[in-house]
Amino acid sequence: MERRSRSFYILAAFFTLFVLFLYGPIVTIGILSFQSPQGGLTFPMNGFSLHWFRDLFQEQAVGDIWGAFRRSFALGLMVMVTTVIVSVMAGLAFRKRFWGSGLLFYAAITSLVIPSILISLGVGLIFNQLGFKIHWATSGFGAQLTWTLPFGLLIMFAVFNRFDKSFEEAARDQGATAWQTIRYVVLPIIAPSLIGVALFGFTLSYDEFARTLLTAGSYNTLPLEIFGMTTNVTTPVIYALGTLTTAFSFAIIAAFLLGVWIVGKRRARHGSDAGKGV
Amino acid sequence: MGWLQAAPLALILLAFLIAPIVMIVIVSFWGATEFSIFPAFQFDNYEFLFSSPVTYRVFGATLKYAFITWALTLAIGFTTAYFLAFHVRSLTMQIALFLVCTIPFWTSNIIRMISWIPFLGRNGIANQTLISWGVIDEPLEWLLYSDFSVILAFVHLYTLFMVVPIFNTMMRIDKSLLEAARDNGASGFQTLVHVIIPLTKPGIMIGTIFVFTLVMGDFITVRFMSGSQRANVGRLISNDIGLMQYPSAAATAVVLLCTVLIVIAILLRFVNIRKEL
Amino acid sequence: MANKVKEDLGFTLEMTALDSDSVTQRAATQPDSFDIADIEYWICKKVWPTGNLQAMDTSKIANYDKIVGIFRNGKLTPESVIAQGTAPHTVGFVDGPGGTSFASEETGWMTLIPTIYNADTLGIRPDLIGRPIESWTELLNPEFKGKASILDISSIGIMDMAMVCEAMGEIQYGDKGNMTKEEIDKTIGIFTEAKRNGQFRAFWKTFDESVNLMASGEVVIQSMWSPAITAVKSRGIPCVYQPLKEGYRSWGGGIGLSSSLSGMELDAAYEYINWYLSGWVGGYLMRQGYYSAVPETSKDFMSENEWGYWFEGKEATDIITSPTGDTLAQAGETRDGGSFYDRMGAVACWNAVMDENQYMVRKWNEFIAA
Repeated sequence: MERRSRSFYILAAFFTLFVLFLYGPIVTIGILSFQSPQGGLTFPMNGFSLHWFRDLFQEQAVGDIWGAFRRSFALGLMVMVTTVIVSVMAGLAFRKRFWGSGLLFYAAITSLVIPSILISLGVGLIFNQLGFKIHWATSGFGAQLTWTLPFGLLIMFAVFNRFDKSFEEAARDQGATAWQTIRYVVLPIIAPSLIGVALFGFTLSYDEFARTLLTAGSYNTLPLEIFGMTTNVTTPVIYALGTLTTAFSFAIIAAFLLGVWIVGKRRARHGSDAGKGV
Repeated sequence: MGWLQAAPLALILLAFLIAPIVMIVIVSFWGATEFSIFPAFQFDNYEFLFSSPVTYRVFGATLKYAFITWALTLAIGFTTAYFLAFHVRSLTMQIALFLVCTIPFWTSNIIRMISWIPFLGRNGIANQTLISWGVIDEPLEWLLYSDFSVILAFVHLYTLFMVVPIFNTMMRIDKSLLEAARDNGASGFQTLVHVIIPLTKPGIMIGTIFVFTLVMGDFITVRFMSGSQRANVGRLISNDIGLMQYPSAAATAVVLLCTVLIVIAILLRFVNIRKEL
Repeated sequence: MANKVKEDLGFTLEMTALDSDSVTQRAATQPDSFDIADIEYWICKKVWPTGNLQAMDTSKIANYDKIVGIFRNGKLTPESVIAQGTAPHTVGFVDGPGGTSFASEETGWMTLIPTIYNADTLGIRPDLIGRPIESWTELLNPEFKGKASILDISSIGIMDMAMVCEAMGEIQYGDKGNMTKEEIDKTIGIFTEAKRNGQFRAFWKTFDESVNLMASGEVVIQSMWSPAITAVKSRGIPCVYQPLKEGYRSWGGGIGLSSSLSGMELDAAYEYINWYLSGWVGGYLMRQGYYSAVPETSKDFMSENEWGYWFEGKEATDIITSPTGDTLAQAGETRDGGSFYDRMGAVACWNAVMDENQYMVRKWNEFIAA
């Protein structure tokens, strides 16, 4: 094996520092969430306890963390499914030029780069002026889609850029209809990437704050609840929540990786070559 | 067929992107009382906006944050991606380290942000550590509630948006190109400047677009990390929204949107996003 | 609290946590998103004209006659002078069920049922300051450079500023609760200069920020709210709600009914209000340092020691604890500022919304951005 150059060690040190920088605050709140019942949001620590985690599972003076969590989870799933379906359809459409395709593409880019507060403000204003009720499942849902769909679309571009069209042509030559080609050839091949789109859609939604702020109505989603808690809660319970949400995110990623691994195993066993084209 | 497949996307964007923008533009000409807004066609909101020196100062400050954050995230993001792509040898290790970088991204932004506060405070970990090491005698005041802490938080939150696209383009660089460069006697540095950087440009551009728009549109990082001592455009807008001055918020938002779109349009001239993914 | 409601009244209360700006926003723009809103009196002045709240029939309020004078004719005791600002009684009544303008005396139709109120002043860290603080001027004292804070809620912050400027003798206000443009310019000018000189460590917008600023020692003197003091103290950190010679800035909150309520829901709302005023909540609030609109009924829900300490300003005869069980005072200690009548009698100004509010807000934004 070739000897590592000096620049490797410098870069490795840099990378380590970067990781420390990324994880520093998470570790800080991780530690602080074990404050004793008398402890505050800041150092020094007043001893260790699991008090705030227990507290999290009890009723809060203000707010409703678990309700918010359920809503965020439901909204995340709604956004996830919609994002996958809509971006796959759009991705397929964009493989050929169609009238207005350029315009739609730039609209999607705008949707990605527009300051989130504009969406929040605009959607909120429209609902108010039209007399509709804003609700996380309607206005909040729509506002979040403007954030997840461009990501989904860009991932689909990446997927179809690498997509080998000969599979499809082969299917068509065998007499498959357009729908059959998509259903039995295209979708299975791009399936692994769809998991990626889904995961992206879910987490972007689950963590989305600015676009939901003025569009969620009476019931807060989890990030809004956390934001509300920073204004109403003076105890480390918010850090306990942070630690738990981080753990939850880890669990989701782990489940996802496990899923990919299992699928990979099964495919290897069945000797299918679907997915290898990606 | 094409249109049918694109229709859902088009409809959603029409309802939740185009319509809100149109609405904001319309409302920016409306008038407001303390508790309600009324349709009108007046330029009062823009007049006030452009006549106030604060507007220019705040837009300046916002662009300053965007620029500094961009420069730092680019430097850090590029170095990190470079290390991952060219110095880590096995693919498994690359993916593992890449995941290590992305995991913090899955935690609530707000929590990640406010967790800097106990770290940087007057009696925070940073100051206590430095004092116990004897580096300083007095706590450093500028660590928190300053431009420093704002930019630190931005860099912390957004470097990932630089790492991912740059790493993505680097992974697609044909390794034989690097070998060819080395065989022709190029030093590591020459290879970096003449081969890697030009080939990574699309990733850099995409990362730039992300970081720039995220910083320009931010309205809570600046508030939390500066202890409300600094302002950016997002805060002007959210203050107005909080006080129900929607028309004036809308006018500021329109100017912000124009600024962002102009910069993005310029950036997009350098990269074809669709081809580079 | 929702639990206690369920226990006593048998219906479920859903609460949404919001800061005062967001409450105003919802009350003014989304009448359907709430049935009853707990808002402050000065906000009422803003929100009432939108027609999203409905007036309440005082004959259906069992304890109406026992509500303290501040909320009825404005006078705490018959000889009290009414303070500047939006005093609650000035926006407390309308002419009839559909009235849109405020009445000048008791009419039998209330806009808000008063629930909670208090007198605010500066909070200090006596251990870090080490000398007596007596005046609002201390907020801008260069001694506390980089260790002072003020709240970033324009309508309240401007009042604290006014208290300081007036105490410094820089400005004489006609009415601090309704300033002229010149007064606003001058007030903001003085504070902008202080800000540029680095007087302030941070501004806070939320309760929690003020607690953290104080508890972590980032700030030693700042505008503060009473429960925030309690929260700092309950961590064993000394913190005083310092009475100042110029008097208090006071505020009051009340329950408003959404105009969308009718029939059964409306009856339930009245039931809720009557329960609210019947004493348990009042006792709970008073043990946090607030005052109840009907102190008499709360007395039954407090021990003699608690009543003496919180309401009468007497020395505690035993340990005083918060409703959640944290120790707040030892035997022998007295409440900062003394009795109910000492504190509420020394109100210099009520939280208010000015005629020049929009101008003030713009100037405030400039101050924050300066």
